[in-house]
Formats: sequence, structure tokens, C-alpha cells
Amino acid sequence: MDYASSEHASGHSPDHVSGRAADHTAGRAGTAPLAVKILVAGGFGVGKTTMVGAVSEVAPLHTEEYLTRAGVGVDDLEGVDSKFTTTVALDFGRITISDDLVVYLFGTPGQERFWFMWNDLVSGAMGAVVLVDTRRLEVSFASIDFFESRGIPFVVGVNCFHGVRDRTAEEIRAALALDPQVPLVLCDARDRGDGRDVLLALVDHLMAGQSATTG
Amino acid sequence: MRHWTEGFDDGDADEQLVRPYTITSGRTTPERSDLTLVTLVTTLPEVSTQAALAVRRMQPEHRTILGLCREPRAVVEVAAKLRLPVSLTKILIGDLVDSGYMWARSPQPLTRAGGLPDMTILEAVRDGLRKL
Repeated sequence: MDYASSEHASGHSPDHVSGRAADHTAGRAGTAPLAVKILVAGGFGVGKTTMVGAVSEVAPLHTEEYLTRAGVGVDDLEGVDSKFTTTVALDFGRITISDDLVVYLFGTPGQERFWFMWNDLVSGAMGAVVLVDTRRLEVSFASIDFFESRGIPFVVGVNCFHGVRDRTAEEIRAALALDPQVPLVLCDARDRGDGRDVLLALVDHLMAGQSATTG
Repeated sequence: MRHWTEGFDDGDADEQLVRPYTITSGRTTPERSDLTLVTLVTTLPEVSTQAALAVRRMQPEHRTILGLCREPRAVVEVAAKLRLPVSLTKILIGDLVDSGYMWARSPQPLTRAGGLPDMTILEAVRDGLRKL
């Protein structure tokens, strides 16, 4: 089913399909696709860029942003002005669903304390994947806490790229103190099919959340 | 004995000779708040004479952006292609939108009243992912 037909099948034509309602300049030109954003988070070295690259239709692109932040809790910068600029980098990929819909996947920067303040990165995200490495579960704790506190739906992808499955899904779930509602999927971040399945788990999770409330 | 190049930062080779804010005439903060990472921007096929004159006073990066965005592109993609930080890219794109060269499509809020994602979009994403 393509996007256009699903729109008609749903029996309503939301204004965001054309985008005109919210767009001050749309009347002057043709149409552009709808962009949705999914974050791929987790600690340093858990395979975020690898997963983005595995499912993206283009090689992951790299970009940087300057963030101005308050210098609270930062080491080694005594005497520096309380507001300063830091550069954070991220890799992202793209999946074109149809002419009307494009998914952007953002591998979040490794140092959470920086991107947690990057509102433009976080706001409007459809949901997130938190990748964990079974040997270093703790590096992904901060990401899980962040999405829980922001109320952003997420799934956990357990990256088993070393082929080591020394812990069961239940053991990992317990170690992460994960809400029973949050899906946990074993995956190989290098594998396109696995990456797709993790993203599908996220979409199913979002749909389940919606029907649980409306139905 | 140390060679004189030891300790030089290899990253220097990638650095631009022009400091980034020169391109934006010293501006550091985007004036338009409606440009986000995934706002899609498109170069308009036709522009007014006034706009055509305006671009002559702009930077080469502005013209690069116009060339890149003949197809709709996200702000973050333009930043990656230009190898400029996102906030600087937003300033340049803002110039082009303001002068009638481009139009911007804001990403629609994915949530409806109640904070839930729209089912139509979710179904479309799911169906698209299944084809991967």
C-alpha cells in the first residue's frame, strides 16, 4: 500500500498531508514530502551510526551544530564564562517511503549531556531507538532516562554484533529496569533487515500506544 | 628527534580558510525560528526580478544552496553538503526564503491533540519499512 492510498483508506484527509495549513509559503510552489524524524540513541560506541547506515538509502551524512549552553557540571573549565559554545556532531540517514513521506534517522551524538540540550534535535521526533551493548549496558542508561523523562516513545535494540548472546532478553530488561511496555529487540546493527525490524518494532509500539488510548 | 610536523593536528587540513561567520556577515543566530533540522526547503523555479538582483549581493554558499535544493532537501542535508554547522546553514537558508528564492515546508507536528502520533503517518511508515 502506498501512502496516498492509505490516506484515502483512513477516511480522512489530514491537513498535514498537503502541509498547506501550517506553511506560510506553500501556496507559492508545489509540494514537498512530509519529513519525520527518528532518533537512534545510546552510549558511545554502541553502533548508532552503524544502524543508521544499515537502513539508510544513502551513506550516512555528517553534520555539526554549535550549541550554547550553561557551563554547569563541566570539568576543567573553571574561570570560563558561564555560557559558552560547544560543537556537537551527528550522523544521519534517510529512508524515502514515498513521494509524500521521508524518514530521517539521526544517530545522536555520543555525549548525551550535549545533545540533551539540543531542542531542535529532540523536538518533534516520532520516537527513538536506544541501542545497548550487552557488555556495557550502563553507557545507554542516560538515553533511556532521557526519553522516559521527556515522554518520547522508544524501543530498545540490543546490539549483538559480536555474536555474543550471553544474556537473555529478560536479563537485559531487568538490568535496564525497563518498563514492561517498552519493546526490546535483539539485533545486529550492521544488518539492514535487523535495523528495519527494530524500526518496525518502534512503529508498532507507537500504534499500540495510540489504539490503547483511542480504542 | 621530533619531526617538525609531529603534534600538528591532522584535522587542520579539513578546516576552512574562511571563518564560518564571515559567510553570514557576523550573524550567529538564525532569525527565522521556523527552520528546523528536518524542515524541507525547495528552490523556487521562478523568481522575481527583485529577488534575482538580491542574489548578486549574496555569498557563493547561497548559490550553492539554490543549486542543491532543486529537489526538496532537509535543512540538515544542506548543512551536511555545505559542511557548515546547522545554525549557519539556517541563516543562509533564511536569507533565501526571505528574499523569495526558496520556500520552506515545516515538518508537521506528528502528534494530534492528546500527544499521540497520527495513525495515517504511522501506517505509511510501517508499510514503507516493510519494503526495505
